[in-house]
Amino acid sequence: MTETANSKPSKASQRMKNIRKNSINRRIYSAVYEEHENSNSEDDEQEGEKADYKDPEEIFQNIQIQKEMISSIRCRPWPMGQKLKVLRQAKEIVLKYEGRLTRTRGYQAAGAEMWKKFGRLVYNITVLFIPWEMRIKKIESHFGSGVASYFIFLRWMFGINIVLTVMTGAFVILPELLAGAPFGSVPSKTIPAGYVASAQDLDTIWSLGGYLQYSVMFYGYYGNERKIGRAGYRLPLAYFMVGMAVFAYSFIILLRKMAKNSRLSMASASDENYTFCWKIFCAWDYLIGNPEAAESKTAAVINSIREAILEEQVKKKDRSLAVIISLRILANILVLLSLAGSIYIIYFVVDRSQELERTKVELTLWEKNEVSVVVSLITMIAPSVFELVAQLEMLHPRTTLRFQLARVLVLYLGNLYSLIIALLDKVNSMSMADNSNDTGTSFLATRALPEEESLSTIVPEIRLRRNSSFSPEENKTKPLTKFNRTALFDYNILSQQDQCWETYVGQEMLKLSIIDMLFTVGSILLIDFIRGLFVRFLSDCWCWDLETKFPEYGEFKIAENVLHLIYNQGMIWMGAFFSPCLPAFNVLKLIGLMYLRSWAVLTCNVPHQQVFRASRSNNFYLAMTLFMLFLCMLPTVFAIARYRPSPTCGPFSGQDKIYDIVSETIVNDFPVWFNTVMGYVTSPVVALPALLLLFMLIYYLQSIARSLKFTNNQLRMQLQVERTEDKKKVFQMAVARFQHLEDGDKKIEHESDATSQESSLQSSPRRNGSVTNFDSPLSAESHIQSISQQVAHAVDVTRSANLPQNPAAAPAQKHRRDHVFQRNPGGLQGATSGHFRGKLPSSRGTRLPEDIRPDAPFRKCVRPLHYSPPGGVPQMILGRRVHTARYILVNEREPRKRLMRPATRVPKHYKVDESRGVVEMLPRNLKRYAVHSAHRTNPQLHFSEEEEEDEEELEQGTFSRSPRPHSLSDLHQPTRFYIGDSKDSRILIGKDLAQIQYEYEDSEPLQDHVGPGSSHAQRNSKGPLPATQSGGAHIKWKTKHKTDQSLTESDSVSIASSSDQQNSSTDQYIQVIHSKDKYLKSSNEKISRTKSRASIELNVAEANDLICSNV
Amino acid sequence: MGNKQTIFTDEQLDAYQSEHDCPQVLGGFGRVPDGQPRALNELVGFIQSTPPPPSTSPILVTPASTALLSVSHLKLHGRYHEMAPHIVPMDYTNEPDVRIPIQLITNMPELKENPFKEQIVKTFSEDGAGNLSFNDFVDMFSVLSEMAPRELKAIYAFKIYDFNTDNFICKSDLEKTLNKLTREELAPEEVTLVCEKVIEEADLDGDGKLNYPDFENMIGRAPDFLSTFHIRI
Repeated sequence: MTETANSKPSKASQRMKNIRKNSINRRIYSAVYEEHENSNSEDDEQEGEKADYKDPEEIFQNIQIQKEMISSIRCRPWPMGQKLKVLRQAKEIVLKYEGRLTRTRGYQAAGAEMWKKFGRLVYNITVLFIPWEMRIKKIESHFGSGVASYFIFLRWMFGINIVLTVMTGAFVILPELLAGAPFGSVPSKTIPAGYVASAQDLDTIWSLGGYLQYSVMFYGYYGNERKIGRAGYRLPLAYFMVGMAVFAYSFIILLRKMAKNSRLSMASASDENYTFCWKIFCAWDYLIGNPEAAESKTAAVINSIREAILEEQVKKKDRSLAVIISLRILANILVLLSLAGSIYIIYFVVDRSQELERTKVELTLWEKNEVSVVVSLITMIAPSVFELVAQLEMLHPRTTLRFQLARVLVLYLGNLYSLIIALLDKVNSMSMADNSNDTGTSFLATRALPEEESLSTIVPEIRLRRNSSFSPEENKTKPLTKFNRTALFDYNILSQQDQCWETYVGQEMLKLSIIDMLFTVGSILLIDFIRGLFVRFLSDCWCWDLETKFPEYGEFKIAENVLHLIYNQGMIWMGAFFSPCLPAFNVLKLIGLMYLRSWAVLTCNVPHQQVFRASRSNNFYLAMTLFMLFLCMLPTVFAIARYRPSPTCGPFSGQDKIYDIVSETIVNDFPVWFNTVMGYVTSPVVALPALLLLFMLIYYLQSIARSLKFTNNQLRMQLQVERTEDKKKVFQMAVARFQHLEDGDKKIEHESDATSQESSLQSSPRRNGSVTNFDSPLSAESHIQSISQQVAHAVDVTRSANLPQNPAAAPAQKHRRDHVFQRNPGGLQGATSGHFRGKLPSSRGTRLPEDIRPDAPFRKCVRPLHYSPPGGVPQMILGRRVHTARYILVNEREPRKRLMRPATRVPKHYKVDESRGVVEMLPRNLKRYAVHSAHRTNPQLHFSEEEEEDEEELEQGTFSRSPRPHSLSDLHQPTRFYIGDSKDSRILIGKDLAQIQYEYEDSEPLQDHVGPGSSHAQRNSKGPLPATQSGGAHIKWKTKHKTDQSLTESDSVSIASSSDQQNSSTDQYIQVIHSKDKYLKSSNEKISRTKSRASIELNVAEANDLICSNV
Repeated sequence: MGNKQTIFTDEQLDAYQSEHDCPQVLGGFGRVPDGQPRALNELVGFIQSTPPPPSTSPILVTPASTALLSVSHLKLHGRYHEMAPHIVPMDYTNEPDVRIPIQLITNMPELKENPFKEQIVKTFSEDGAGNLSFNDFVDMFSVLSEMAPRELKAIYAFKIYDFNTDNFICKSDLEKTLNKLTREELAPEEVTLVCEKVIEEADLDGDGKLNYPDFENMIGRAPDFLSTFHIRI
């Protein structure tokens, strides 16, 4: 049960409950633990429990367990038959003792189930209504997420345009249609007489003249009455507000989307390191049941794997720096040149069209659409040029993509800007032309007068320029008007209408949008479809392989296409104020584009060879859109703020500025107090502080963001550290396991050998956190504290207190404990740090051979311990096996400065015994000091426990638990031990408890090491009552000779491992305090084995070194 | 409830049902869990003197709700039966030992397109050869159902991807997986590269193959594992 609970970290809460039970039922489980798999043990468990029913508490616990099992049975990886069996048993037991579920409960459950099903159904239905979902999924499965991201973006744009359309439609177009003055009632809504004849010509319609021009589609149609209809709808105000709301809404929706995206990318950013794994193990969608979908999915999987491979390979690519830099500079120059060229061309074309309009009355189709066509051509061709140039740069494909996108964006923006600037220029020049005409007709003069005034006030410099530059044209126009004398009136009307520059801009924008659409369609058909057909059907009878060599199939270029969408949207934003129908038109356009594109992609495009995950580019797209929106808003706002609205048409005619409508409304239609309030609010007194506040706010938020970023980075680093720790740990566990297996052979004969070896080995993974406590022999200056604790009942409690487990330095302690126990015979007795139990105060001075011998090796670490004299052996075994004598830590204080403390304190607690005497001593001590286990909250405990569990895992061979990160705890631990130098008592308690903990936990898993006899003893020790001494006694005889044997074999190993430990833990806190050499030597003399003496001397030398470096 | 009752007895349905939905059904089962210490003491005293308390409240699950909740099992039985009508009896009350061969199972539309279909079926069959008894069948779809917990799914996913059943996902397993997944469209060197990458990413102990902890660790962080590793029936 523990194992299963451990195996499911997510069930932390269950675990809480479990642990209590476990501690009680441990006995039962332990019997079956060796079976090692849950499935087996669970069954046995039940058998065992049935037998155990006498104890009421256990019955209760049993019920709980059964319930637990019933509720978690789904989560067990057993075959159904077994599940059913276990379930039946568990239910029987529970039903026997427990009441049954109430009827209402059953209904509730049923209701919940139905609700869940209903929710799923609703979800499924809503999915059905997401437009083009299936289409996009299909494309996604064929072409990967990159191409799909284009369509998703398109769909999103479509959504935005729907909202914009609804806004303009509901608040501007519909009211005007319903309540506005009807068509033909007002001059601004009437087609001029001269044009009526040609108003329905295709030619006129095409250039958006005629009926189209005098319709709700354009600004000029809207009347300037302040209120229309019976309800008094304020159309001009609404027009203005909607115009602004279009921008506001776009901004808000964009920013929200971006924020959401960045949140998402943040969440997924940390999961980068399993790319390939997920691509393999999580790639297949098990839901797929349709052959076509399976085909698509396979294609998608292959595609994504290729993507990943490509990305991987790109990481490795390398090239000489100088070449690359020069190439990149060249590429950028080329790009700049082409940008400048395109801007110049556009400006030139607009200029030329102005000229043409002036010089010719009848314009050809080409001349009328020249501007739009040229702009569209540039937008089509330039990206390909950029792409060619980008190949020079040899950047990472993703970077290339971004560069490409940025360049294309700049190009599009340049196009739009040069166009709009040229248009505005044209607006100005049109006014100039009017002015020049006033010599010819008095009618015009009167009408154009205000225009001239306004222009001269607003843009005098422009006027001047125009006048000078177009003076030759004026000369031309004059004869022209005279020549067309019959059409003079018409011409006047025409110029009057043309003065509606807002309409003109709107027309141009709409024209541009239409031409752009045509070009898109044309390019799709020509470049993708025809080429696809050509390649497909002619490749058989061509001199080279068309499919792989020159024309190939068209690739779907995500970057350009997305950019094109953005550009398209930019045109809408730019023109929406002047042509309210633009969003509606765009909706249609996007629908058409969606179908055409998806069809083209599926039929005649091949997946782009370098498709990258678009999820992260998404925000990039959005950022560009935002940029575009901002830049497109500028000209509109500029025009609104700077130019005077046309005096004869549009909702704002007669006003000085378009935005005057707002102040006018406020003045006229709001109460006086509001007016004054607004006056205050807009005064600099309020505006300036508000602006300041805004700046401060921005600064504050930015600093917060910076600090958050910093924290974020730190956390990420920490995570990485932990992960590497994880890796290390797992690796070391594996090593330990391996070692363990190896040892398994010898185990039977050399049991204790295996144990000590194991312990030393297992300590190595803990290097970071482990404390190596080296004790040197007793001397006058040193004192040895031995602590023993009685576990007994405390065990359960400590266990449950341990919930937040942390990995620990238990192994170190473990082996230390071993040594300590073995040294025990040397006459050191258990005494809790605080309460030394001293019987013979004079112990200090005595240098017992037994003491010294074990100590010296101990400094070195593990193995030499076994050298303890025969007299001591029984005790050491006792110490190990019997729970009462848990732990004796020998700590040596060597430096003279510290002499005082040990000297004063130790003596009274000391009891120097003959080795024999100790045997009886320990148990007594232990009982006495059991009280002190109250300190069990010491965090040390957790460490040890964790460690133990790891060991359990190793030994049981269960894979169920993943290693826990422990770097943090590791960090903490050393300090604790370091403090320990000065405050022995505290640490010792900690260690002590840990030891207890260990011992307790130990019981099952360690049996392997300990051997059959001792294991049985240990199990006894687990009982609520302190184990009987007899148990320990009987063990000691068994193990005695084994330990002796082990000495020789494990000697070298232990030294090696211990020195390793020392070296590796130099940065940690080693308490190495060596004793005086003379003591050692004297002790050595008494050691019977020469080998051990050698090792001791070695140890001393090393210890000295260590002291130099560490203490 | 006429016809359907003859397929399973009430207890069988009940058992399946509990197996299937226990967290919901049994959530309120224990009446004691909250105030455990107090309740424990009471109970201890109580139980010591008397035999276990008789069940006072009504039955566990009412027949109506049983029928309602176990429709899915009846449905599963229907599917099971329809695959091999001549082998599978309609009456399952005495739990006959019937197995359907792997060929029939893999022809189910739900599995037909799955590149790992044989492996899935083999994983869930008790005899390892792919012949499924009804219990195995239910087992399979319960693990692959939406409601199965992630750990369980991970365990079985591991088993599915462990082709040679050595408890490790080694390179050959990976290659097999990859080839099945991509219908062998990847070039051999690509396959090796990917396999190496996978092991490099997920192998924590450096033994060149993935054991279950490695696998679980990896799959536990996968964002879309739960959403893709299930079959709706």
